[in-house]
Amino acid sequence: MVKTRKFKRGQMKIQQMSFMLIAVFLFFALVGMIVLSFMLGNIRESATTLKEQNAKLLVSRMASSPELWCGEVYGREKTDCIDLDKAMALKANIREYSEFWKISSLEIQKIYPKAIPNKITECTVANYPNCNMITLINKKDSYDVSNYVALCRKEVYNNKVVNTCELGKITVGYEGVE
Amino acid sequence: MRDKKGGIQFSFAWIFAIIAGVVILGLAIYFVTQFSEKSKLEINVKNAVSIGVLTNPVESSFESAKRYTITTKAETRIYTECNSQETVTSSFGKQIIRTAEKTYNQWSEDQMTDMEFQNKYIFSKDRVEGKIFYVFSKPFKMPFKIADLIYLTSARDLYCFVNPPDDIEDEIEDLIGNEETRSESQNFYLTNRKRECPQESTSICFKRTDSGCDVYVSDNYVQKSSGRMYYEGDALMYAAIFSDKEEYECQVKRLMNRAKKLFEIYQDKSEFVFKKTRCNSGTDIELMQMISLLGGYQSSQDLEIINVLAQDIQDKQDNQYRNTEECRLW
Repeated sequence: MVKTRKFKRGQMKIQQMSFMLIAVFLFFALVGMIVLSFMLGNIRESATTLKEQNAKLLVSRMASSPELWCGEVYGREKTDCIDLDKAMALKANIREYSEFWKISSLEIQKIYPKAIPNKITECTVANYPNCNMITLINKKDSYDVSNYVALCRKEVYNNKVVNTCELGKITVGYEGVE
Repeated sequence: MRDKKGGIQFSFAWIFAIIAGVVILGLAIYFVTQFSEKSKLEINVKNAVSIGVLTNPVESSFESAKRYTITTKAETRIYTECNSQETVTSSFGKQIIRTAEKTYNQWSEDQMTDMEFQNKYIFSKDRVEGKIFYVFSKPFKMPFKIADLIYLTSARDLYCFVNPPDDIEDEIEDLIGNEETRSESQNFYLTNRKRECPQESTSICFKRTDSGCDVYVSDNYVQKSSGRMYYEGDALMYAAIFSDKEEYECQVKRLMNRAKKLFEIYQDKSEFVFKKTRCNSGTDIELMQMISLLGGYQSSQDLEIINVLAQDIQDKQDNQYRNTEECRLW
């Protein structure tokens, strides 16, 4: 009888201890998971912030990129000036540039003078310059940042080749981290 | 705990608690170590991406020879590597940046990750170390702008320019800044003689008469212990000064690939504008010659001939449109 009682008390203690240990283990596991999810959230946030920062800095100097910049084609060198004729040539060669700037979209849109009727018409060799949008890169739905730029091109007016500059915006898209 | 004979006796409960405790502690230590490794990796990746992002404003069409400072929280090593390998989809190669931080007197070099950029050309020693880094850039033109070259140095690496030509001297003076803007940890020096250079600085001499210099700059090449690097223009001269031969050759190869692509774009633009406006750039044959020449680029020794043709094209365009920009391509 005594032996049995002792055995039962021992069993009880072991049970208590194992429950306690399991509880302690689960508690720490839970705390660990909460900390981990918080840290992962921070990593995602900082990755998205870095991408956003990159896109903002990139869009502000995208017009100065040799692939788009006006140079001296339209008079003296200008900042934030995009050569639309060159952009059309770039559109034909864009395959190699798909990963070049590490962005998910790149669009150039004419905003003034407004198109009549007021709708977006993608530029092609056939309709250029009677169009208002050049989509160079379009990979995924994404966040985007824009910058106002001058859009310049060569045009024939009264049998003379003249420079035409209009107001536009360049939009750079980047993917958020999910 | 002691039995009748004086020996130590453990009950099952104690043994169980000790084993379970060891397992829990072991797991805790394992996860903490893993977590710390992951944190180091995260910091290294973040630093490498940040360097890539922070060099963005340095590149622009007008601003050059302006120095930016990158300061890191801890001691950092920045590794820059160049890969000029062409892929099926791209011929631009890659600029690779890796960073490692010093934590508890140990470099976290095992936790480095390659950050790749196709649109960057960074010239520096293969490893720069410190807390303060200086960055400046110059546009590389041949004859139009091909790219902005970025030069990265650590405040710890001292460079002494001995008797440079006037234009280089002015540029270095601008980079050093005046007394108000000068940084405390200055790493560029201008002297007239090699012996006036600070100790442990890399001496860059522009005249063969100065002996014992680390770097010699001639009219079209830079001579270093790692070899002879040919250059055209100041942008590539600085590139050769600040980088090793292997990296320099790789980056110039990447630049030539980008130049080739840009010439192809200008060729297409020329055709496109001609169809639209009958405006003839008059440089179609030279553009084709240049594309073919760039396609056969082997090493920096080829730069001279490429530059001659680039200059010819530029002269032809300038002569044709001396007082007007009517049909200029760039």
